[in-house]
Amino acid sequence: MVSPSVMLFRQELPFLEWRKGIACQRWKQAAIAAVLLSLTALTSWRCNVDVQSFISGVDKGIPLLGLFFPPEWSRLVGMLQPLAVTVVLAMAATILGMCLSLPCALAASSNLAPPPLRLAMRSFIALERGLPEIVQLLLLIAIFGLGVVPGLIALSIGSIGMLAKLLADGIEEIEPSMLESVAGTGATRSQVIRYAVIPQILPALFANGLFQFEFNVRTSIILGAIGAGGIGYVMRTSMLSMDYSTACMATLLTLALVFFTERVSDFLRARILSGGLLR
Amino acid sequence: MSIEVPASALPSRKLRLTIFYILAIVTALYLLFWFLDLSPSSVFVDFRFVNDLAHQLFPPNLALFLKSALFVSVIETLSMAFLGTVGGGGIALIFAFFAATNTTPHPLVRLAVRTMLAMQRSIPQLIVILVLLIAVGIGPFAGVLALAIGSMGMYGKFFADTIEQADKAMLESVQSVGGTRMQTIRYAVLPQVMPSFVANLFYAFDHNLRAAIPLGIFGGGGIGFELEFARGLLHYKDVMAYTSLIVVMITVMERISDWARRSIITQPQLIAK
Repeated sequence: MVSPSVMLFRQELPFLEWRKGIACQRWKQAAIAAVLLSLTALTSWRCNVDVQSFISGVDKGIPLLGLFFPPEWSRLVGMLQPLAVTVVLAMAATILGMCLSLPCALAASSNLAPPPLRLAMRSFIALERGLPEIVQLLLLIAIFGLGVVPGLIALSIGSIGMLAKLLADGIEEIEPSMLESVAGTGATRSQVIRYAVIPQILPALFANGLFQFEFNVRTSIILGAIGAGGIGYVMRTSMLSMDYSTACMATLLTLALVFFTERVSDFLRARILSGGLLR
Repeated sequence: MSIEVPASALPSRKLRLTIFYILAIVTALYLLFWFLDLSPSSVFVDFRFVNDLAHQLFPPNLALFLKSALFVSVIETLSMAFLGTVGGGGIALIFAFFAATNTTPHPLVRLAVRTMLAMQRSIPQLIVILVLLIAVGIGPFAGVLALAIGSMGMYGKFFADTIEQADKAMLESVQSVGGTRMQTIRYAVLPQVMPSFVANLFYAFDHNLRAAIPLGIFGGGGIGFELEFARGLLHYKDVMAYTSLIVVMITVMERISDWARRSIITQPQLIAK
């Protein structure tokens, strides 16, 4: 039989420790909050955050949004062509990007490529990921002039950054025994790639390619506004010429497009990952 | 007695499938190129232009790095991403509690908030920034607002899904001792979801930093604005300097936020519990 005082102590001990832990955490929380608040204050000063201009902006913005409606339905048919250009640009760039990222990924994985090649390819991919598509487009426009070509090149090269990195990581996670069992039959390196690597990463390639397609649709809208054509260009020019009902029509079409691509790619991705497709 | 071999495993069938896939991809590419009205050879233009541009780009104008204005614009871009993340993430956190089935005051509220978040997610940032530029004027503030609106839609839904996956037993145990809705959220939900929230905010920062550059080009301030300005003046050596700075900035911040995210996920004690 345990005496009542010991019982009390046993009950109190975790409680006391808990109190101590709480006090310690309060300090930590206060420190984190102070750092966050001072950073917020500093950055707001840097970015001219101004509540007054926000309020007057809302005041100005609501009548502005009123000008957007009703949308200019008569422009609907004329906008289908630029809309299609945007989608097709994203599609072609995704397919080209997938074709380009497969060899890049093979050269960037430690279990297939020699170390110098791997290092070079990995740094190229990292560079590609750090360079936004829009900056590439600005440089490419200087070479090709305005049009779809610079947009297509910027998007397909931009797709490599993400796709090749994910694929290379996927290849590096392949069981070594799988590669060895194919190599053990006397297969050359290209045969190892063909029979041990490609079948394993094909689903990942297509699933990530669909993600990239969603991303590319959004990016091609933005690239279009800079000069690659398509619905983004229509949107920006109508906005700049203060033709707000046309801009509203373009916005509605883009909303429908983004929503629709998200659904389709979700559906296809689920099919691929469950193994229904590509078998 | 013969062994049953599925038709899909036969070599001839597999070869035919492979050829079919390759042909399908080539045809698709051909059709897409035909629609865009461009021939593949147009990609390989006269290399004179490439050569000219390379001469104009290199060497990058490194003298620019000595000016403080450059670093002001880098800090401006970083500030835009930070404020967009904190503002958008904070509002997303509040909306998430209205949008999750287990904490929402009413199913209709949940539906309304979810619809709003879905709308915000699909509106392209281009249209948001174009409207904001008219509403609050050219400058980084418009960029901050556009980033905040974007993060709100993206992470509001994500946070709501995280809250819905919270352990039910904890919620019930707080409710069983007479906790109000606020107390349930404070003591049962927040401690469970906080590490995932903070980790995702680092990811959001990374994403916002990338998104801040096109926003800057459209007039949202920061280094994107400077880049577009230099390009407009055809100062290609400056453009190259800005470009290399952007690459370094994005790569370094990605490394930092990756490290922070991993240390938070493996060490949940760091966050209030």
